[in-house]
Amino acid sequence: MKARRFAFLLTTLFLAACARRDARHSTRTLVVAYGSDEFPLTLNTERLGRYPLNANICEPLVRLERDFSVAPALAERWERRELNEVRFHLRGGVTFADSTPFDARAVAGTLSQSARTRTDYSSLSDSSVRIIDDSTVDIRPAHVNRRLVEQLVHPTYAIFKPGSDPARSPVCTGPFRISGYAANDHLTVVRNERYRGAPPRLDTIVFRFIPDETTRTLALRAGEVQAIVDVGRSNASALRARPGIRVVTSPPGAVVVIYMNLNGAAPFNQLRDVRLRRAVAMAIDRRSLVEQVLGVASASLVTTVNPTVVLGPDALLVHGIDFDTAAARSAIGGRRRAMTLIANPGSIDHATVEFVQAQLARVGIDARIEQLDAAAYESRLNSGAFDLDIELPNQNDANPAFLLALRWYSKSSTRSVAFTHASPQFDALIERALSADTDLEVRRAAAEAMHQLIDVEVGAIPLAGISRIYALSDRVNGFVAHPSRLNQDWSAVWLAP
Amino acid sequence: MARSLSPWHWLAQRAAGAAMVWLSVSFLAFSLSTLAPGDPAQVILLRRSGEAPSAVEVQELRAQLGLNRPFLVRYARWLSGAARGDFGRSYRTDQPVLDELRSRFPATLALALAALLFGVVIAVPLAVAAAAAHGRALDHVGRLVALAGVSMPSYWLAYMLMLGFAVTLGVLPVSGSGTLRHLVLPALTLGLGSAASIARTLRASLLAELGEDYVRTARAKGRSNAGVLVRHALRNALNPLVTVSALRFGRLLGEAVIVETVFAWPGIGRWMVESIYDRDYPAIQGFVLYIATVFIFINLVVDASYRLLDPRVRPGSLAAGS
Repeated sequence: MKARRFAFLLTTLFLAACARRDARHSTRTLVVAYGSDEFPLTLNTERLGRYPLNANICEPLVRLERDFSVAPALAERWERRELNEVRFHLRGGVTFADSTPFDARAVAGTLSQSARTRTDYSSLSDSSVRIIDDSTVDIRPAHVNRRLVEQLVHPTYAIFKPGSDPARSPVCTGPFRISGYAANDHLTVVRNERYRGAPPRLDTIVFRFIPDETTRTLALRAGEVQAIVDVGRSNASALRARPGIRVVTSPPGAVVVIYMNLNGAAPFNQLRDVRLRRAVAMAIDRRSLVEQVLGVASASLVTTVNPTVVLGPDALLVHGIDFDTAAARSAIGGRRRAMTLIANPGSIDHATVEFVQAQLARVGIDARIEQLDAAAYESRLNSGAFDLDIELPNQNDANPAFLLALRWYSKSSTRSVAFTHASPQFDALIERALSADTDLEVRRAAAEAMHQLIDVEVGAIPLAGISRIYALSDRVNGFVAHPSRLNQDWSAVWLAP
Repeated sequence: MARSLSPWHWLAQRAAGAAMVWLSVSFLAFSLSTLAPGDPAQVILLRRSGEAPSAVEVQELRAQLGLNRPFLVRYARWLSGAARGDFGRSYRTDQPVLDELRSRFPATLALALAALLFGVVIAVPLAVAAAAAHGRALDHVGRLVALAGVSMPSYWLAYMLMLGFAVTLGVLPVSGSGTLRHLVLPALTLGLGSAASIARTLRASLLAELGEDYVRTARAKGRSNAGVLVRHALRNALNPLVTVSALRFGRLLGEAVIVETVFAWPGIGRWMVESIYDRDYPAIQGFVLYIATVFIFINLVVDASYRLLDPRVRPGSLAAGS
């Protein structure tokens, strides 16, 4: 009798749990599936809603457009005053979400906090911001940095109200404001009624943290979420075929690049020989990589950044190394070579690594793939224990020389640059780009540096441009994918009934 | 002949054994985590600045964290802290590891308990039916089902359940937490594997009991087959069920790693995986020791429960290992 009652109770509980919920769709709330919650991590604890998930609660002084140009945001205009100082004229009549007026003090407070938590990127220091009046600030980095304006588009520099807690409840000027956050579960934002621009069409956006990609896909199919950020390439193909789901891609904002160990010690010193580097470059068929492996939302590229948007017409200076297996075999000299190949486990899929390995094998290079987790990979990279390294660097600001300066410039603070830095000629071009006055000059210098790196020194092999992939329910309208996920705008999105 | 021990002696002996196991686990947890390639100082600095750190910065932080000290010195310091409940601070989040464990463990515990409940509720009728139909079609089918349950990878099962209950039927959520509905699919995923394992063990145990003299006597007294099976054999077959369930519970805590990630369940498993990737030594060591402590405690409870469930078992005989 007892057993029967127990079974009845369990069955009732199970059925109650399974009871179908109201299936009516809200047109006011968008639920977005996002990957892991990275806000609790040390670096990000004071960047809730700003970085790495930009929930559109805060605005920077300047913003990054889809073509990687800089546009006014909280600053109406700016001008360079000295070699290393920029004056920003702030937008008038702007208020924070709690109706406090936005002014220069907020800029000083936010950028001081950025300087304390983010080191050696923009060279900002605690005393970099000088308040001229309520609507004017001068910003002078601690070291000469002529690319400051292009860097300030990054959401880590988005402005929050002085005195508000950037870790729990930042108060900002963006189209949305935070209404709830549960670590590793969700971040909810609601419309900021005091937003200065066109009011968002949604009342609420819930960003749900779902680390597993297949689960995100199933959540979209089940109607639990209406959008997925960063869909994997294999899932994107499958989702395209599903009725009621749209796959949207951005212009390429990242590039698959092979980094070479240019300065390694034995046994990782083979690629000091430029002929061998050229042979490696000639061995890889970029078009096949795009057509057979990467597929959806990828494009064959010869530059390390999206050339059309970041370098403009100057990108034509970079030719890339043509695919030519016969010439590659000849350059190797007939004897087989052994190399160590590593890849960033967080961004490069195994199919790409195996494709590169197979291509190299065809010309007589036996690449041994080292499968590493993130920490082991960083360790290998920084100790120079590799010949070839495949990565997927992203462009999230408007400085065309950013990646070049970060990874191949000998004065970069990046530790692995000891093994990847290029020649003094390349350094000189980077210094020209970093100190250029105009957009045209910086683009030209960056393009010349890229030509030097890719065509002359063969210090890197760009393989393919990679787009951001979003999957959306058919009900989602007004979404325009930005090539930089960190700068994705959700304010124009609306939901059909 | 088993040596007779008082309950207190038995308990003292068990506690001493548990302490030795705990110390061994602590040493293994500490030494194995430090053997993995990758420098935690480098990972921490990368997290803090967003950029690869310089060699000088790495060295300074290594010194600050005491990573340059001899292994045994570091182990002794960590152990003395752990004994007081201080596992140090997480490299990734800069929060006390114990706080991190405490905030996540209830979710994992709820998941494991629900999974165990599912497992037992599914396994017991399955095992009883299989034992009752020994050698017949139902028995073979039951064994096949159990084999399939044991063999299925949990992530695959998770996706299948999501497809069935969430995508196709729309009666349960795909992922998340907070309500009973969110618990059903992850618990079922974990529980089905356990059910298979428990059912196999219980069936074997029941078949052994059904061959005993007391069963024949009960039948001779006119008891029905069902009555003999449920009232006599099942009760005496419960000891292995308790053992298997307890062991499964320990395993469930470990298997929850995958299920929590797939279902976005905010438990300890996901946190653990991320800690391993980032070489968060205090978190890894704290987790292993925490789980080991729970495991040791469960085993003690299970041993003690034998006496309650089976009057034939006495502490003295347990101590002698019979």
